[in-house]
Amino acid sequence: MSGRSNARKQPKVKEKVIIDENNPMLRAFRAYSMELDAKHDRYERIVKLSRDITIEAKRIIFLLHSIDIRKGNKEKVLEEAQQRLEKVIKVNFKAVAQEMHNLDPYQYRGAYAPGLQEFIEAYSFMEYMRYADDNSTSLDNEASMSDWQQLQGKMQYIEAETNDEISAEMKEHKLSFHVEPSEYILGISDLSGELMRRCINSLGSGETDTCLLICKVLQHLYKGYIGLSIPRCRELSRKIHTMRQSVLKAEDVCYNVKVRGGEAAKWGLESEKPNVDIDEGFF
Amino acid sequence: MSNFVNLSIFENYQKYIDNEQEIREKIRLMVRKIEQNTKEAAIQLQIIHCDLSKIDNACEKARKTIAACSENYQSLSELIPIGQYYRYSDHWTYITQRLVFIIAMVVYLEAGFLVTRETVAEMLGLKTNQADGFHLDIEDYLMGILQMASELSRFATNSVTLGDYDRPLHISRFMANLNAGYRLLNLKNDGLRKRFDALKYDVKKIEEVVYDISIRGLKNITNEATDETSNKETEENYSSTNAVGTVENI
Repeated sequence: MSGRSNARKQPKVKEKVIIDENNPMLRAFRAYSMELDAKHDRYERIVKLSRDITIEAKRIIFLLHSIDIRKGNKEKVLEEAQQRLEKVIKVNFKAVAQEMHNLDPYQYRGAYAPGLQEFIEAYSFMEYMRYADDNSTSLDNEASMSDWQQLQGKMQYIEAETNDEISAEMKEHKLSFHVEPSEYILGISDLSGELMRRCINSLGSGETDTCLLICKVLQHLYKGYIGLSIPRCRELSRKIHTMRQSVLKAEDVCYNVKVRGGEAAKWGLESEKPNVDIDEGFF
Repeated sequence: MSNFVNLSIFENYQKYIDNEQEIREKIRLMVRKIEQNTKEAAIQLQIIHCDLSKIDNACEKARKTIAACSENYQSLSELIPIGQYYRYSDHWTYITQRLVFIIAMVVYLEAGFLVTRETVAEMLGLKTNQADGFHLDIEDYLMGILQMASELSRFATNSVTLGDYDRPLHISRFMANLNAGYRLLNLKNDGLRKRFDALKYDVKKIEEVVYDISIRGLKNITNEATDETSNKETEENYSSTNAVGTVENI
Protein backbone atom coordinates (compact mmCIF):
# COMPACT_ATOMS: atom_id res chain seq x y z
CA MET A 1 0.00 0.00 0.00
CA SER A 2 2.70 2.45 0.98
CA GLY A 3 4.68 1.50 -2.07
CA ARG A 4 1.88 2.67 -4.27
CA SER A 5 1.44 5.95 -2.50
CA ASN A 6 5.17 6.60 -2.77
CA ALA A 7 4.98 5.91 -6.45
CA ARG A 8 2.29 8.47 -6.74
CA LYS A 9 4.17 11.05 -4.76
CA GLN A 10 7.19 10.92 -7.00
CA PRO A 11 5.55 12.43 -10.06
CA LYS A 12 3.81 14.94 -7.84
CA VAL A 13 7.11 16.51 -6.87
CA LYS A 14 8.06 16.74 -10.52
CA GLU A 15 4.69 18.17 -11.36
CA LYS A 16 5.20 20.85 -8.75
CA VAL A 17 8.30 22.10 -10.52
CA ILE A 18 6.71 22.07 -13.93
CA ILE A 19 3.40 23.70 -13.22
CA ASP A 20 4.66 25.97 -10.52
CA GLU A 21 4.30 29.15 -12.52
CA ASN A 22 0.85 28.68 -13.93
CA ASN A 23 -0.84 26.80 -11.15
CA PRO A 24 -2.59 29.49 -9.13
CA MET A 25 -2.95 27.23 -6.15
CA LEU A 26 0.76 26.68 -5.77
CA ARG A 27 1.49 30.31 -6.40
CA ALA A 28 -0.90 31.22 -3.59
CA PHE A 29 0.73 28.68 -1.32
CA ARG A 30 4.13 30.10 -2.02
CA ALA A 31 2.86 33.43 -0.75
CA TYR A 32 1.33 31.82 2.32
CA SER A 33 4.57 30.05 2.97
CA MET A 34 6.47 33.31 2.94
CA GLU A 35 4.02 34.87 5.33
CA LEU A 36 4.16 31.95 7.73
CA ASP A 37 7.94 31.90 7.66
CA ALA A 38 8.11 35.58 8.42
CA LYS A 39 5.82 35.05 11.37
CA HIS A 40 7.77 32.10 12.75
CA ASP A 41 11.10 33.82 12.28
CA ARG A 42 9.93 36.86 14.15
CA TYR A 43 8.61 34.66 16.91
CA GLU A 44 11.92 32.88 17.24
CA ARG A 45 13.85 36.12 17.29
CA ILE A 46 11.65 37.42 20.10
CA VAL A 47 12.06 34.16 22.03
CA LYS A 48 15.82 34.61 21.78
CA LEU A 49 15.64 38.18 23.03
CA SER A 50 13.37 37.09 25.83
CA ARG A 51 15.79 34.39 26.88
CA ASP A 52 18.61 36.92 27.12
CA ILE A 53 16.41 39.11 29.27
CA THR A 54 15.60 36.17 31.54
CA ILE A 55 19.24 35.29 32.00
CA GLU A 56 20.28 38.82 32.80
CA ALA A 57 17.34 39.30 35.17
CA LYS A 58 18.25 36.13 37.05
CA ARG A 59 21.81 37.30 37.40
CA ILE A 60 20.67 40.64 38.71
CA ILE A 61 18.48 38.91 41.29
CA PHE A 62 21.45 36.81 42.32
CA LEU A 63 23.52 39.94 42.60
CA LEU A 64 20.89 41.58 44.79
CA HIS A 65 20.89 38.59 47.10
CA SER A 66 24.57 39.19 47.73
CA ILE A 67 23.79 42.37 49.62
CA ASP A 68 25.12 41.86 53.10
CA ILE A 69 25.07 44.36 55.90
CA ARG A 70 28.30 42.98 57.28
CA LYS A 71 30.12 43.61 54.06
CA GLY A 72 28.68 47.07 53.68
CA ASN A 73 28.25 46.61 49.95
CA LYS A 74 24.65 47.74 49.76
CA GLU A 75 25.17 50.99 47.88
CA LYS A 76 27.52 49.52 45.38
CA VAL A 77 25.38 46.50 44.58
CA LEU A 78 22.21 48.52 44.29
CA GLU A 79 23.91 50.92 41.95
CA GLU A 80 25.18 48.14 39.76
CA ALA A 81 21.82 46.36 39.72
CA GLN A 82 20.03 49.51 38.72
CA GLN A 83 22.45 50.17 35.91
CA ARG A 84 22.13 46.69 34.58
CA LEU A 85 18.35 46.85 34.71
CA GLU A 86 18.36 50.14 32.85
CA LYS A 87 20.59 48.57 30.29
CA VAL A 88 18.12 45.73 29.81
CA ILE A 89 15.40 48.29 29.23
CA LYS A 90 17.51 50.30 26.82
CA VAL A 91 18.92 47.44 24.81
CA ASN A 92 16.94 44.22 25.10
CA PHE A 93 13.42 45.53 25.46
CA LYS A 94 14.06 48.04 22.76
CA ALA A 95 14.96 45.24 20.42
CA VAL A 96 11.73 43.45 21.26
CA ALA A 97 9.80 46.66 20.73
CA GLN A 98 11.45 47.03 17.34
CA GLU A 99 10.42 43.53 16.37
CA MET A 100 6.84 44.25 17.28
CA HIS A 101 6.68 47.70 15.80
CA ASN A 102 3.20 48.29 14.41
CA LEU A 103 2.14 44.77 15.31
CA ASP A 104 -0.36 43.42 17.74
CA PRO A 105 1.66 42.92 20.96
CA TYR A 106 -0.60 40.06 21.99
CA GLN A 107 0.37 38.00 18.97
CA TYR A 108 3.86 37.33 20.28
CA ARG A 109 2.97 37.34 23.92
CA GLY A 110 4.02 33.74 24.40
CA ALA A 111 7.45 34.61 23.06
CA TYR A 112 8.34 37.49 25.31
CA ALA A 113 6.27 36.77 28.43
CA PRO A 114 8.91 34.73 30.34
CA GLY A 115 11.53 37.43 29.90
CA LEU A 116 9.16 40.19 30.84
CA GLN A 117 8.02 38.41 33.99
CA GLU A 118 11.55 37.70 35.10
CA PHE A 119 12.51 41.27 34.43
CA ILE A 120 9.59 42.59 36.48
CA GLU A 121 10.62 40.31 39.29
CA ALA A 122 14.19 41.60 39.20
CA TYR A 123 13.12 45.20 38.91
CA SER A 124 10.70 45.07 41.80
CA PHE A 125 13.23 43.19 43.91
CA MET A 126 15.72 45.95 43.27
CA GLU A 127 13.09 48.46 44.30
CA TYR A 128 12.42 46.51 47.44
CA MET A 129 16.07 46.48 48.39
CA ARG A 130 16.19 50.19 47.85
CA TYR A 131 13.08 50.62 49.94
CA ALA A 132 14.44 48.53 52.78
CA ASP A 133 17.57 50.62 52.63
CA ASP A 134 15.76 53.95 52.79
CA ASN A 135 13.61 52.64 55.57
CA SER A 136 16.52 52.26 57.87
CA THR A 137 17.82 55.77 57.33
CA SER A 138 14.66 57.86 57.18
CA LEU A 139 11.30 56.84 58.50
CA ASP A 140 9.16 59.08 56.34
CA ASN A 141 9.84 57.61 52.93
CA GLU A 142 6.94 57.23 50.55
CA ALA A 143 8.56 54.72 48.27
CA SER A 144 6.54 51.83 47.00
CA MET A 145 6.96 49.52 44.06
CA SER A 146 6.34 50.73 40.54
CA ASP A 147 3.16 49.68 38.88
CA TRP A 148 2.89 48.65 35.25
CA GLN A 149 2.24 52.17 34.08
CA GLN A 150 5.48 53.37 35.58
CA LEU A 151 7.36 50.51 33.96
CA GLN A 152 5.58 51.22 30.72
CA GLY A 153 6.70 54.81 31.06
CA LYS A 154 10.31 53.63 31.17
CA MET A 155 9.95 51.57 28.04
CA GLN A 156 9.41 54.35 25.59
CA TYR A 157 11.95 54.73 22.88
CA ILE A 158 12.52 57.24 20.20
CA GLU A 159 14.23 55.85 17.22
CA ALA A 160 15.92 57.77 14.51
CA GLU A 161 15.30 56.13 11.21
CA THR A 162 17.03 56.90 8.01
CA ASN A 163 14.63 57.04 5.18
CA ASP A 164 16.05 55.62 2.00
CA GLU A 165 14.12 57.80 -0.38
CA ILE A 166 14.99 61.03 1.31
CA SER A 167 18.39 59.92 2.44
CA ALA A 168 19.40 63.15 4.11
CA GLU A 169 16.34 63.41 6.24
CA MET A 170 16.24 61.70 9.59
CA LYS A 171 12.83 60.61 10.62
CA GLU A 172 12.04 59.99 14.24
CA HIS A 173 9.39 57.66 15.38
CA LYS A 174 8.26 56.50 18.74
CA LEU A 175 8.50 52.94 19.91
CA SER A 176 7.20 51.50 23.07
CA PHE A 177 7.19 48.15 24.70
CA HIS A 178 3.74 47.16 25.84
CA VAL A 179 3.74 46.09 29.47
CA GLU A 180 0.70 43.90 29.80
CA PRO A 181 -0.83 44.28 33.29
CA SER A 182 -1.42 40.53 33.54
CA GLU A 183 2.26 39.85 32.94
CA TYR A 184 3.10 42.45 35.52
CA ILE A 185 0.90 40.79 38.11
CA LEU A 186 2.43 37.40 37.34
CA GLY A 187 5.93 38.89 37.54
CA ILE A 188 5.28 40.49 40.89
CA SER A 189 3.98 37.23 42.30
CA ASP A 190 7.43 35.75 41.70
CA LEU A 191 8.83 38.51 43.86
CA SER A 192 7.36 36.75 46.88
CA GLY A 193 9.78 33.86 46.37
CA GLU A 194 12.74 36.21 46.32
CA LEU A 195 11.56 38.01 49.42
CA MET A 196 11.20 34.72 51.22
CA ARG A 197 14.74 33.76 50.31
CA ARG A 198 15.97 37.10 51.46
CA CYS A 199 14.10 36.60 54.72
CA ILE A 200 15.79 33.25 55.33
CA ASN A 201 19.19 34.64 54.38
CA SER A 202 18.76 37.58 56.72
CA LEU A 203 18.04 35.18 59.50
CA GLY A 204 21.31 33.47 58.74
CA SER A 205 23.19 36.74 58.99
CA GLY A 206 21.33 37.77 62.11
CA GLU A 207 19.36 40.67 60.67
CA THR A 208 16.17 39.91 62.49
CA ASP A 209 14.66 43.31 61.73
CA THR A 210 14.83 42.55 58.05
CA CYS A 211 12.98 39.30 58.63
CA LEU A 212 10.14 41.09 60.32
CA LEU A 213 9.97 43.75 57.63
CA ILE A 214 9.96 41.21 54.82
CA CYS A 215 7.29 39.19 56.53
CA LYS A 216 5.11 42.28 56.72
CA VAL A 217 5.68 43.06 53.05
CA LEU A 218 4.85 39.48 52.10
CA GLN A 219 1.65 39.54 54.10
CA HIS A 220 0.68 42.74 52.37
CA LEU A 221 1.45 41.29 48.97
CA TYR A 222 -0.55 38.18 49.72
CA LYS A 223 -3.48 40.30 50.83
CA GLY A 224 -3.41 42.07 47.49
CA TYR A 225 -3.36 38.83 45.55
CA ILE A 226 -6.15 37.03 47.33
CA GLY A 227 -8.31 40.08 46.78
CA LEU A 228 -8.18 39.56 43.04
CA SER A 229 -10.89 37.63 41.34
CA ILE A 230 -9.58 36.54 38.00
CA PRO A 231 -11.61 34.06 36.03
CA ARG A 232 -9.83 31.37 34.04
CA CYS A 233 -6.26 32.05 34.98
CA ARG A 234 -4.67 28.84 36.08
CA GLU A 235 -1.21 30.31 36.09
CA LEU A 236 -2.11 32.97 38.60
CA SER A 237 -3.87 30.66 41.01
CA ARG A 238 -0.85 28.40 40.95
CA LYS A 239 1.38 31.33 41.74
CA ILE A 240 -0.86 32.47 44.57
CA HIS A 241 -0.57 29.02 46.03
CA THR A 242 3.21 29.21 45.88
CA MET A 243 3.05 32.66 47.39
CA ARG A 244 1.12 31.30 50.32
CA GLN A 245 3.90 28.82 50.98
CA SER A 246 6.42 31.66 50.98
CA VAL A 247 4.33 33.72 53.36
CA LEU A 248 4.01 30.79 55.73
CA LYS A 249 7.74 30.21 55.70
CA ALA A 250 8.46 33.85 56.42
CA GLU A 251 5.93 33.86 59.22
CA ASP A 252 7.56 30.79 60.70
CA VAL A 253 10.89 32.58 60.67
CA CYS A 254 9.41 35.54 62.51
CA TYR A 255 7.80 33.24 65.02
CA ASN A 256 11.08 31.55 65.74
CA VAL A 257 12.81 34.88 66.08
CA LYS A 258 10.23 35.93 68.62
CA VAL A 259 10.24 32.84 70.83
CA ARG A 260 13.85 31.77 70.58
CA GLY A 261 15.68 34.92 69.75
CA GLY A 262 17.61 35.49 66.54
CA GLU A 263 20.44 33.11 67.08
CA ALA A 264 18.51 30.01 67.96
CA ALA A 265 16.06 30.41 65.10
CA LYS A 266 18.81 29.91 62.59
CA TRP A 267 19.34 26.39 63.88
CA GLY A 268 15.69 25.65 64.23
CA LEU A 269 15.14 26.32 60.58
CA GLU A 270 18.00 24.23 59.34
CA SER A 271 15.75 21.30 58.54
CA GLU A 272 13.74 23.41 56.12
CA LYS A 273 16.73 24.56 54.14
CA PRO A 274 16.59 21.95 51.37
CA ASN A 275 12.99 22.88 50.78
CA VAL A 276 13.98 26.46 50.31
CA ASP A 277 16.45 25.58 47.62
CA ILE A 278 13.88 23.75 45.57
CA ASP A 279 11.41 26.56 45.61
CA GLU A 280 13.39 29.31 44.02
CA GLY A 281 10.44 31.25 42.80
CA PHE A 282 11.73 31.18 39.24
CA PHE A 283 9.04 30.54 36.71
CA MET B 1 6.10 54.19 57.54
CA SER B 2 4.42 53.66 54.25
CA ASN B 3 4.24 50.22 52.83
CA PHE B 4 6.25 48.96 49.94
CA VAL B 5 3.31 47.09 48.49
CA ASN B 6 0.93 49.56 47.02
CA LEU B 7 -2.49 47.97 47.24
CA SER B 8 -4.02 50.36 44.75
CA ILE B 9 -2.13 48.40 42.09
CA PHE B 10 -4.41 45.49 42.79
CA GLU B 11 -7.52 47.62 42.67
CA ASN B 12 -6.45 48.99 39.32
CA TYR B 13 -5.71 45.54 38.04
CA GLN B 14 -9.10 44.28 39.14
CA LYS B 15 -10.72 47.13 37.22
CA TYR B 16 -8.63 46.30 34.21
CA ILE B 17 -9.66 42.65 34.32
CA ASP B 18 -13.33 43.46 34.88
CA ASN B 19 -13.22 45.64 31.83
CA GLU B 20 -11.66 42.85 29.81
CA GLN B 21 -14.29 40.39 30.99
CA GLU B 22 -17.03 42.70 29.83
CA ILE B 23 -15.56 42.83 26.36
CA ARG B 24 -15.19 39.06 26.33
CA GLU B 25 -18.82 38.67 27.29
CA LYS B 26 -19.90 40.76 24.31
CA ILE B 27 -17.57 38.89 21.99
CA ARG B 28 -19.00 35.59 23.16
CA LEU B 29 -22.52 36.68 22.29
CA MET B 30 -21.52 37.74 18.81
CA VAL B 31 -19.49 34.59 18.22
CA ARG B 32 -22.49 32.52 19.22
CA LYS B 33 -24.50 34.18 16.46
CA ILE B 34 -21.80 33.34 13.95
CA GLU B 35 -21.76 29.79 15.21
CA GLN B 36 -25.48 29.57 14.56
CA ASN B 37 -25.02 30.76 10.98
CA THR B 38 -22.14 28.42 10.40
CA LYS B 39 -24.12 25.45 11.63
CA GLU B 40 -26.94 26.32 9.27
CA ALA B 41 -24.61 26.49 6.32
CA ALA B 42 -22.96 23.22 7.32
CA ILE B 43 -26.33 21.50 7.44
CA GLN B 44 -27.29 22.87 4.04
CA LEU B 45 -24.10 21.47 2.57
CA GLN B 46 -24.70 17.99 3.91
CA ILE B 47 -27.12 17.38 1.04
CA ILE B 48 -24.18 16.86 -1.31
CA HIS B 49 -23.60 13.46 0.25
CA CYS B 50 -27.02 12.16 -0.71
CA ASP B 51 -28.26 14.10 -3.74
CA LEU B 52 -25.87 15.37 -6.38
CA SER B 53 -28.51 17.27 -8.30
CA LYS B 54 -29.11 19.59 -5.37
CA ILE B 55 -25.54 20.80 -5.11
CA ASP B 56 -26.11 24.09 -6.89
CA ASN B 57 -29.09 24.80 -4.77
CA ALA B 58 -27.22 24.02 -1.57
CA CYS B 59 -24.34 26.27 -2.57
CA GLU B 60 -26.70 29.11 -3.21
CA LYS B 61 -28.30 28.73 0.19
CA ALA B 62 -24.92 28.43 1.89
CA ARG B 63 -23.74 31.60 0.22
CA LYS B 64 -26.68 33.48 1.67
CA THR B 65 -25.86 32.24 5.14
CA ILE B 66 -22.25 33.22 4.65
CA ALA B 67 -23.35 36.70 3.70
CA ALA B 68 -25.22 36.88 7.01
CA CYS B 69 -22.00 35.88 8.78
CA SER B 70 -20.14 38.73 7.22
CA GLU B 71 -22.52 41.17 8.90
CA ASN B 72 -21.89 39.53 12.24
CA TYR B 73 -18.16 39.72 11.67
CA GLN B 74 -18.60 43.41 11.07
CA SER B 75 -20.22 43.81 14.51
CA LEU B 76 -17.57 41.57 16.04
CA SER B 77 -14.77 43.68 14.62
CA GLU B 78 -16.29 46.75 16.21
CA LEU B 79 -15.99 45.14 19.64
CA ILE B 80 -12.26 44.61 19.37
CA PRO B 81 -10.01 47.54 20.30
CA ILE B 82 -7.45 48.36 17.63
CA GLY B 83 -4.30 46.29 17.89
CA GLN B 84 -5.77 43.73 20.27
CA TYR B 85 -6.95 41.13 17.78
CA TYR B 86 -4.79 38.41 19.26
CA ARG B 87 -5.78 39.23 22.79
CA TYR B 88 -9.27 37.92 22.15
CA SER B 89 -8.82 35.85 19.03
CA ASP B 90 -9.18 32.53 20.86
CA HIS B 91 -12.91 33.20 20.93
CA TRP B 92 -13.35 33.07 17.20
CA THR B 93 -10.48 31.11 15.67
CA TYR B 94 -12.39 27.85 15.77
CA ILE B 95 -15.50 29.21 14.15
CA THR B 96 -13.50 31.11 11.56
CA GLN B 97 -11.75 27.90 10.56
CA ARG B 98 -15.11 26.24 10.22
CA LEU B 99 -16.33 29.05 7.99
CA VAL B 100 -13.24 28.90 5.84
CA PHE B 101 -14.00 25.23 5.38
CA ILE B 102 -17.58 25.94 4.32
CA ILE B 103 -16.61 28.69 1.92
CA ALA B 104 -13.86 26.57 0.41
CA MET B 105 -16.33 23.75 -0.02
CA VAL B 106 -18.88 25.99 -1.72
CA VAL B 107 -16.31 27.43 -4.08
CA TYR B 108 -14.97 24.00 -4.90
CA LEU B 109 -18.43 22.63 -5.63
CA GLU B 110 -19.27 25.59 -7.82
CA ALA B 111 -16.06 26.08 -9.71
CA GLY B 112 -13.69 23.25 -8.85
CA PHE B 113 -10.75 25.24 -7.58
CA LEU B 114 -9.30 26.25 -4.25
CA VAL B 115 -10.56 29.51 -2.87
CA THR B 116 -7.78 31.96 -2.03
CA ARG B 117 -7.35 33.57 1.32
CA GLU B 118 -8.19 36.92 -0.21
CA THR B 119 -11.51 35.68 -1.50
CA VAL B 120 -12.49 34.13 1.81
CA ALA B 121 -11.60 37.35 3.59
CA GLU B 122 -13.68 39.31 1.15
CA MET B 123 -16.68 37.05 1.52
CA LEU B 124 -16.54 37.47 5.28
CA GLY B 125 -15.86 41.18 5.07
CA LEU B 126 -12.42 40.78 6.63
CA LYS B 127 -8.99 42.10 5.70
CA THR B 128 -6.01 39.98 4.82
CA ASN B 129 -3.45 42.33 6.24
CA GLN B 130 -3.18 42.75 9.97
CA ALA B 131 -2.46 46.44 9.64
CA ASP B 132 -5.74 47.13 7.83
CA GLY B 133 -7.95 46.03 10.68
CA PHE B 134 -9.84 42.91 11.68
CA HIS B 135 -8.27 40.25 9.52
CA LEU B 136 -8.38 36.63 8.54
CA ASP B 137 -5.42 34.96 10.17
CA ILE B 138 -3.39 32.88 7.77
CA GLU B 139 -3.29 29.91 10.09
CA ASP B 140 -7.06 29.93 10.41
CA TYR B 141 -7.32 29.88 6.64
CA LEU B 142 -4.91 26.97 6.31
CA MET B 143 -6.68 25.02 9.05
CA GLY B 144 -10.03 25.55 7.38
CA ILE B 145 -8.72 24.26 4.07
CA LEU B 146 -7.46 21.11 5.75
CA GLN B 147 -10.93 20.48 7.12
CA MET B 148 -12.23 20.70 3.59
CA ALA B 149 -9.83 17.95 2.55
CA SER B 150 -11.47 15.49 4.94
CA GLU B 151 -14.89 16.47 3.73
CA LEU B 152 -13.83 15.98 0.12
CA SER B 153 -12.60 12.48 0.81
CA ARG B 154 -16.00 11.68 2.22
CA PHE B 155 -17.63 13.32 -0.76
CA ALA B 156 -15.56 11.22 -3.16
CA THR B 157 -16.87 8.01 -1.61
CA ASN B 158 -20.44 9.18 -1.64
CA SER B 159 -20.35 10.46 -5.20
CA VAL B 160 -19.32 6.97 -6.31
CA THR B 161 -22.24 5.54 -4.37
CA LEU B 162 -24.48 8.02 -6.16
CA GLY B 163 -23.11 6.91 -9.51
CA ASP B 164 -20.78 9.78 -10.39
CA TYR B 165 -17.47 8.17 -11.31
CA ASP B 166 -15.75 11.27 -12.70
CA ARG B 167 -15.86 13.30 -9.57
CA PRO B 168 -13.35 11.26 -7.55
CA LEU B 169 -10.82 11.70 -10.33
CA HIS B 170 -11.18 15.42 -10.19
CA ILE B 171 -11.10 15.46 -6.42
CA SER B 172 -8.00 13.32 -6.46
CA ARG B 173 -6.15 15.73 -8.73
CA PHE B 174 -7.31 18.63 -6.65
CA MET B 175 -6.12 16.99 -3.47
CA ALA B 176 -2.77 16.16 -5.02
CA ASN B 177 -2.28 19.84 -5.77
CA LEU B 178 -3.41 20.78 -2.33
CA ASN B 179 -0.98 18.37 -0.80
CA ALA B 180 1.82 19.79 -2.94
CA GLY B 181 0.80 23.25 -1.78
CA TYR B 182 0.99 22.34 1.88
CA ARG B 183 4.37 20.77 1.30
CA LEU B 184 5.67 24.19 0.33
CA LEU B 185 4.98 25.43 3.83
CA ASN B 186 7.54 25.13 6.59
CA LEU B 187 5.26 24.17 9.40
CA LYS B 188 6.29 24.53 12.98
CA ASN B 189 5.46 21.80 15.41
CA ASP B 190 2.05 23.17 16.27
CA GLY B 191 -1.64 22.53 15.75
CA LEU B 192 -1.46 23.26 12.04
CA ARG B 193 1.33 20.76 11.61
CA LYS B 194 -0.65 18.13 13.45
CA ARG B 195 -3.69 18.75 11.30
CA PHE B 196 -1.56 18.65 8.17
CA ASP B 197 -0.21 15.26 9.14
CA ALA B 198 -3.76 13.95 8.85
CA LEU B 199 -4.02 15.15 5.25
CA LYS B 200 -2.16 12.13 3.92
CA TYR B 201 -4.92 9.84 5.15
CA ASP B 202 -7.50 11.86 3.24
CA VAL B 203 -5.33 11.73 0.14
CA LYS B 204 -4.87 8.01 0.55
CA LYS B 205 -8.57 7.43 0.92
CA ILE B 206 -9.32 9.27 -2.32
CA GLU B 207 -6.56 7.44 -4.14
CA GLU B 208 -8.15 4.18 -3.09
CA VAL B 209 -11.49 5.29 -4.46
CA VAL B 210 -9.85 6.26 -7.74
CA TYR B 211 -8.07 2.92 -7.82
CA ASP B 212 -11.30 1.00 -7.28
CA ILE B 213 -12.94 2.88 -10.12
CA SER B 214 -10.06 2.51 -12.56
CA ILE B 215 -9.47 -1.23 -12.16
CA ARG B 216 -13.11 -1.84 -12.88
CA GLY B 217 -13.20 0.60 -15.74
CA LEU B 218 -16.17 2.41 -14.29
CA LYS B 219 -17.19 5.47 -16.25
CA ASN B 220 -20.22 7.65 -16.44
CA ILE B 221 -22.52 6.71 -19.31
CA THR B 222 -22.83 10.33 -20.33
CA ASN B 223 -19.09 10.54 -20.73
CA GLU B 224 -17.92 10.14 -24.31
CA ALA B 225 -15.72 7.11 -24.67
CA THR B 226 -12.79 9.09 -25.98
CA ASP B 227 -9.24 9.06 -24.77
CA GLU B 228 -9.54 9.64 -21.07
CA THR B 229 -6.20 11.26 -20.46
CA SER B 230 -6.69 14.03 -23.01
CA ASN B 231 -10.08 14.61 -21.52
CA LYS B 232 -8.50 15.02 -18.15
CA GLU B 233 -5.99 17.49 -19.39
CA THR B 234 -8.49 19.77 -21.05
CA GLU B 235 -10.50 19.73 -17.91
CA GLU B 236 -7.51 20.68 -15.86
CA ASN B 237 -6.63 23.52 -18.15
CA TYR B 238 -10.14 24.70 -17.97
CA SER B 239 -10.23 24.68 -14.22
CA SER B 240 -6.93 26.47 -13.82
CA THR B 241 -7.78 29.22 -16.29
CA ASN B 242 -11.11 29.52 -14.64
CA ALA B 243 -9.41 29.91 -11.31
CA VAL B 244 -7.17 32.68 -12.57
CA GLY B 245 -10.06 34.43 -14.19
CA THR B 246 -12.15 34.41 -11.08
CA VAL B 247 -9.36 35.56 -8.86
CA GLU B 248 -8.71 38.47 -11.16
CA ASN B 249 -12.36 39.30 -11.39
CA ILE B 250 -12.57 39.58 -7.68
